[in-house]
Amino acid sequence: MFFPKKNFLNHNQKRTVISVFVVIWLFIFYYESSRHFFLNPFFGREFPKIKFLFPPAGWIMFFNVDEGYGGAEVYGIKDGQRYFINPHDILETKAVGYDNIHRNVLSEMLSSYHGPSFCRFLRRKFPGYEQFEVVAVFYPDVTETPKKKLYRTVYVCE
Amino acid sequence: MTIKWWARAFLELRPSIGLSFFRIFMALTVGLHVLPSFFHLQDNYLSTAFKTVNLSFFTPGAIELVQKSPDSVVCFFVIFFCVTWFFFLIGLFSQLSCILMAVCCYYFYALNAFHIGTLSWDILLVTLFLMCLTPYHGDYFSVDALRSGQIDSFKRLRPFFLQRLLQIQIASTYFFTAFHKITASGNWLTDNPMYYLLNYPPEGVVKQFIFREFFVARPELCYVIGVTIIVCEILLPFLLFISKTRLWAMGLGIFFHVVLVSTFHVPTIFFFLFPPQLLLFINPKDIVQWLEKKKSQSQNQGQAQVIYDGHCQFCRTSINILLTMDLFGYLKPVNYHTIENVKTLHPNLTKELCHSQLHLIEPDGTLSGGFFIFRRLCFRLPMMYPFIFVFYFPGSGIVGPLVYRWVAKNRYLFHRAKVCRDNACFR
Repeated sequence: MFFPKKNFLNHNQKRTVISVFVVIWLFIFYYESSRHFFLNPFFGREFPKIKFLFPPAGWIMFFNVDEGYGGAEVYGIKDGQRYFINPHDILETKAVGYDNIHRNVLSEMLSSYHGPSFCRFLRRKFPGYEQFEVVAVFYPDVTETPKKKLYRTVYVCE
Repeated sequence: MTIKWWARAFLELRPSIGLSFFRIFMALTVGLHVLPSFFHLQDNYLSTAFKTVNLSFFTPGAIELVQKSPDSVVCFFVIFFCVTWFFFLIGLFSQLSCILMAVCCYYFYALNAFHIGTLSWDILLVTLFLMCLTPYHGDYFSVDALRSGQIDSFKRLRPFFLQRLLQIQIASTYFFTAFHKITASGNWLTDNPMYYLLNYPPEGVVKQFIFREFFVARPELCYVIGVTIIVCEILLPFLLFISKTRLWAMGLGIFFHVVLVSTFHVPTIFFFLFPPQLLLFINPKDIVQWLEKKKSQSQNQGQAQVIYDGHCQFCRTSINILLTMDLFGYLKPVNYHTIENVKTLHPNLTKELCHSQLHLIEPDGTLSGGFFIFRRLCFRLPMMYPFIFVFYFPGSGIVGPLVYRWVAKNRYLFHRAKVCRDNACFR
């Protein structure tokens, strides 16, 4: 343990400290694992989230996947022409073993809240363009109509 | 009865070698996740970056404080992270470096959650938090172990609670992942998520793996695979805690992660952290027992003899370090001062030769000396594996012996006996 001195606690005290910690930890762990999707609806109230640890809604990897798929595309505009910008040129950070672009990180830019800072970012990265258009792309059904893509301009960086 | 069970589950003293091994993978995972984001500081962390914040994880105050960081502070944290990460990887001041590295991880997460902040990153932080609690993970495979000078530090006994909590964490993560898929808003039983995922456009989360088209054409099969995944995720926690099924469950879990990483764009954590965390289900007592067996086998089949100068404290310390690294009992140290005729050890040896440098006599009689014994040993001693690249790096065959020669010549300067401070002991 990260105690100030070695043998700061005797054997029994150490066991007590460990036991108390384990009980508290297990309580917190299971509380946070079930809070969002089970405790909140069951008790009909919003229980507080423990800050600085644990994800917001428990362990929910791929828990709900439907037939639709959405993403974001960014276009640069120059001399009245619209050019598609490769997302890998926008977010150049290369993670090891996977591709963040495929994890749809670009879709975060679709929130208009992020608009001003993303526009600033784009203007710095691509000074050659006069304007940028951030477009939401939506596949209504990836199985029935895989080629059907709907576009909606979310905001334009002037 | 309950007290006995509790003590056995959490308080019992067991070797910490499993945690030490896990520390290396923990460090690699953190490094692989964070370090790539440093190659584009302007994009990710400096004032020019596009940033998002995670307000459900941090308090607004913490976010505000971190967001105020000028670029110089960000650069300081980058360097600080690299140093503490490396210390944690090699196990130097293991607990302290773990805590400081965790602080850096939190800092970068609060600064910009965009690249590193994923669900799996939150899982990683939970694991990291537990690792910060004790120094147990520095007991072996670490510089701390070499500094401690305890040859048998690999079997050092520690309360088992930390390893048990890490076991519970991963087992529960599987369980809740499956549970969310079939309850809450999960749709894995009522719909066919696996089929949708495989039909995602090329820019989606699924990689272009070899059988993808085969599965895309078979929705029923996709559904069966989805249900199988849920069954495995629900069963795994139980199978992992039952001793008879543990090995199979660990194999299944590791296979699951290999398939996941080969077919999906999921963060590195799923591959570098979870499989080693599954290995924590191996009882460390069994590992130590296996190592002891290997050691006695080595003793029976013949060990390599390391001939050293027992009058030199530096040499004795070095031998101690080699023996600490010698997990399989390959080495037998021989102080040449205790041998009347060193030719009985090997016909090419003389007292002068033995005095000038370390020698290694392998079971088949091969004799090597100086720098070259490290080249031989780096394949034999697990803790020396990382040095294979150093000892076989082009040019090391020329530089290595020169460095070794200089150290050997001045070795009496390296120890604490005052009488030898001016290298007077060297003959």
